[in-house]
Amino acid sequence: MIISANWLRAYVHHGLDINELENLLTMCGLEVDGVEQIGSDLQGVVIGDVLDTRPHPDADRLTLCSVSLGEGDPIQIVCGAPNVAPGQRVPVATVGTTLQLPDRKNPEQKTAVTLKKVKLRGETSEGMICAEDELGLSDSHDGIMVLPVDAPVGASFAEWLSSRGVSASDYAIDVAITPNRPDAISHIGVARDVAALTASTLLPPEVVVPKPGGAAADLISVEIEAPALCHRYVGMVVTGVTIGESPAWLKQRLTAIGLRPRNNVVDITNFVMHECGQPLHAFDLAAVEGQQIRVRATEREQAFTTLDDKERTLPAGTLMISDGARDVAIAGVMGGQNSEVTPETTDVLIESAWFEPSGIRRTAKALSLQTDASYRFERGVDPTGQAWAAARAAQLMCELAGGTLVDGMVDCHPRPYEARSVRVRASRAASIIGVDIPAGHVETLLGAIGCTAVRIGQPADAGTDAANDPVWDVTLPPYRPDMEREIDVIEEIARLHGYDNIPEPERSAIPNFTPDPDPERTLKSRVRAQLAARGFREIYTNSMQPAERAQSFLTPALPAGQFGKQAVETLNPITTEMAALRTSLLPGALQAIQFNQNHGQQGVRLFEIGRVHVRAHSDRSVIEGFTEMETLLLAASGVWEAQGWLGAARNVDVFDIKGHIEALFAALRLRGVRFVPIESTGPFEQLAEMKYQGTYLGTLGQVLPAQNTAGAPLSGHPVCFAELDWDAVSEAALRHGRVRFAPVSRFPRVDRDLALVVDRHVPVGTLMADIADAGGDLLQDVSVFDVFEGGQLADNERSVAFSLTFGAQRTLRDNEVDEAVGRILKAVATRHGAQLRS
Amino acid sequence: MLCHRRDFFCVLYVKSMSDDLSALRQEIENAPLGEADAIDAFRIRFLSRKQGVITALMKRIPEIAPDERKAYGQDVNALKQRVEERLEAAQEALTTGSRSNGPALDITLPGRPVPEGSLHPLTETLDLIVHVFSSYGFQIAEGTEVEDDWHNFTALNFPEDHPARDMQDTFFIEEGKTLLRTHTSPVQIRVMKAQNPPVRVIVPGRVYRNEAISYKSYCLFHQVEGLYVDKGVTMADLKQILHAFARTLFGEDVRMRFRPSFFPFTEPSAEVDIWWSDPDLPGGGRWLEILGCGMVDPNVLTAVDIDPEVYTGYAFGMGVERIAMLRYGIDDIRTLYENDVRFLKQFTS
Repeated sequence: MIISANWLRAYVHHGLDINELENLLTMCGLEVDGVEQIGSDLQGVVIGDVLDTRPHPDADRLTLCSVSLGEGDPIQIVCGAPNVAPGQRVPVATVGTTLQLPDRKNPEQKTAVTLKKVKLRGETSEGMICAEDELGLSDSHDGIMVLPVDAPVGASFAEWLSSRGVSASDYAIDVAITPNRPDAISHIGVARDVAALTASTLLPPEVVVPKPGGAAADLISVEIEAPALCHRYVGMVVTGVTIGESPAWLKQRLTAIGLRPRNNVVDITNFVMHECGQPLHAFDLAAVEGQQIRVRATEREQAFTTLDDKERTLPAGTLMISDGARDVAIAGVMGGQNSEVTPETTDVLIESAWFEPSGIRRTAKALSLQTDASYRFERGVDPTGQAWAAARAAQLMCELAGGTLVDGMVDCHPRPYEARSVRVRASRAASIIGVDIPAGHVETLLGAIGCTAVRIGQPADAGTDAANDPVWDVTLPPYRPDMEREIDVIEEIARLHGYDNIPEPERSAIPNFTPDPDPERTLKSRVRAQLAARGFREIYTNSMQPAERAQSFLTPALPAGQFGKQAVETLNPITTEMAALRTSLLPGALQAIQFNQNHGQQGVRLFEIGRVHVRAHSDRSVIEGFTEMETLLLAASGVWEAQGWLGAARNVDVFDIKGHIEALFAALRLRGVRFVPIESTGPFEQLAEMKYQGTYLGTLGQVLPAQNTAGAPLSGHPVCFAELDWDAVSEAALRHGRVRFAPVSRFPRVDRDLALVVDRHVPVGTLMADIADAGGDLLQDVSVFDVFEGGQLADNERSVAFSLTFGAQRTLRDNEVDEAVGRILKAVATRHGAQLRS
Repeated sequence: MLCHRRDFFCVLYVKSMSDDLSALRQEIENAPLGEADAIDAFRIRFLSRKQGVITALMKRIPEIAPDERKAYGQDVNALKQRVEERLEAAQEALTTGSRSNGPALDITLPGRPVPEGSLHPLTETLDLIVHVFSSYGFQIAEGTEVEDDWHNFTALNFPEDHPARDMQDTFFIEEGKTLLRTHTSPVQIRVMKAQNPPVRVIVPGRVYRNEAISYKSYCLFHQVEGLYVDKGVTMADLKQILHAFARTLFGEDVRMRFRPSFFPFTEPSAEVDIWWSDPDLPGGGRWLEILGCGMVDPNVLTAVDIDPEVYTGYAFGMGVERIAMLRYGIDDIRTLYENDVRFLKQFTS
């Protein structure tokens, strides 16, 4: 909401400069988002008297003017305006004056120009006779501005203007209004806070409010058929108005806050709304059929044309203003085209009502139509302010549009406002705010915003004396619907006292608690640090993806696919590009890899830890029907080892990722994780599931290039990846508990190598697991040091060489090791037909 | 020494002889043979015809008792062989060794590359924030990103059909029922329902807002929420803890201000700004908002069956992105989600 500094000053003489005012508003909860200066101060512009004019000898359109500025000799000014004439009083910008000159094509665009003494086609010009737009008074450039003949020659133009209620310069203050402050959506509302905080007096305009009934009641009748949605409807009638332009001061008020002046009647309703916060509507009385207004809710969906000439579809239940025959306005939102004020209008019906906030909000949302009126009604206008606002508008219409107020008014008031009050304990205020504010000061602060705090004694349970710990009965102002409870009043006390005046305690106690080592979080943070130290870069990707992509990565091959088949979609996505929640971290990483490859990175290795979602109920569900899990993704593509003087470049393959995953499991003390090959589908190949004691921990594999995986583009190199079900990994790792030290063996270990010839389809992982199994307790380590095919071997065979390490807490005897090797050979021979290579 | 012992007692001599052989073996293995001089000295020490130690041992074989003689002879022979091997290897190294003949190793060449990794700036910032509040005895709680309307709005005192709900444009999943949390505040409710006061937690997490994406807003961001409910908690305590936080993140002499604001779930509510120096700006800087906070609204306590007459509390919430952007001078929030390696590599692991 824009507040004009000049307009504000009409209601409170605060004596603050603009910076002080900005700070005061921000620090009282009316946050200033920005301040913009409007117009210039017109320093150097004086009132001149055009003594004589003659045509410029060398230019048809220019006139040479001799202008008196009071003292001294007349000066010569070259003027281009056709309307300049001797005897005129005019504003003259003298040499040295800086004006904000508008761009004629785009009046918003202004350039500061400092006037110099110049020669125009050979004739000296010592200044400029100004048009309204050049002075920042309006956008008008219909010739120079001609002042009344009594304007004092030689006087400051700015002073003369301000004596007529017009200021050359102003500040537009952009105030962010929080939803709890409907009282502050007007100049008087803001002025009330300023007055309270500067101990000044609020100066609302004098308005005479007519008595209900009278001649007005004979001209119009009002019936509220939906009293729950409209608690009050005030109508006043002004007859004999002449629709025309508003006076300069009124136009200036409206333009200062960004409104475009239309005509005097409409401008007045806008002016009063921004003055006091009560939205008004002006009907052309001649267009109101049957001298009757009805406030009713629609029963079915229907069409209605608003005064912006748009036909809108209104849902059933929309609150409407109707006359004897038809609808004439959408209550609280916008008037209708059929009854708006036109240049021919002579008699005006002023509507000033209180509409129920949530109803207006629903209508404005349903129509996607937020107006200045609906914005105020849906926050809650002062339920006692209707007659005042209507009378204020009527008064101005009489003054500025030549109208006559029809005596009396219609005040249909089915639900009169009932005064509200609340009990407030000083002790409670101190226990929330943390500082004792003297009772007398509290009463003054509350009084300044329209509350009356009356001491009613002391709390029954308190032994302190009532003077220091009083209880008040606080009457709440009608324009503060946000104030209802004791805590609401305490907030006002704190706000007006100033949050900056609450001292910080020197020390504070915290509850006795047991520090939590938080192993899960520690583990995650260690893994992050390890991966970063091993050359992976951490990424954060968008959780929102196109629905097809989220769906296509919801495969049983990946962690989330273990839980369900349906991705989670939002009902109101920003774009279809972000319509569903990710089901895997992989597509985000693919995009990041693609992005970086497009930007010249030869090799990329990334990791992310984040949440993925699936629409399925599981033992992990917190919200019924939704499973949310954390996964850890490693992904790499392109160059793994760079070309260097010690060797050639090498691209990543799936064993690089597997190596890191194995190192990770080793760091987490997860021994014996099995990598089980699974069928590759879609864009994937070389897939393997990781299983630990029968529990699924994740999947690794690679994504082929040029497979356009439902919108996750990938070109160039394959992407090797592993995605772990982090919740499962973390749970398995933490199940081990703390490390128990095992003594280090002082006895020598025995190494044996075995080269086995076996069918090439027997997985080495299975062989290793069987060897480990058969080797028993003595076998401490198994590794593969060679895999060989061809040569003397049959086509379907390969040779796999294992290195075995045996050890125990004693000296091993040769025959023990031989026995273990014998068991191993027997096991692999029986299960896989493996033979020792001769 | 050996001669000396032999003169005394034969049996002892053999025993100590084997000890001495093992000492000799060590000497043979460990003698440094880098320079030509050292090689000559080594040869003379062990193999010289007149004074060589091994030569002397060989000469004594006939003196050894017959049943020991064979073993003794083998041991001495093995030593001799080892000496010859070492001499040969040392000679070889001396003649073909890089040190004198081959090209010198250029230690100025780069080492074998080890890839650089990095932690995301949001992780670094989040860890720092969590560290500050952990130091002040806050426990860490987390919730889910998919939430229900009751925890996200209703229990937090957001009235139905109230403009307060407009402050947080919401992604809905099921109309009026399930949504993507717009803040981490619903975790306040979950914690307070699960635990009696005192409650002292922070809640980091990802939250969602249905807003147009621009340089200053993204469809999601990370928040850290704090909550302390106990007897006697006041707004003065809130100011103290947040000031401590601001000092850690923005320096000991940070200027901070509290100004009134509005959140449905706190009352009184405040926004906290810090002064950001910028010599290019008129006034030498500007106030920047870093977080929102306030005293827990009695309605919220009532919703989780905590008596607001007995307990009071404060809550605060901050955007991790905003703080990271301030700390690192990042001016476009989208940069944080683009994952450009040239950006990421500026942050260390």
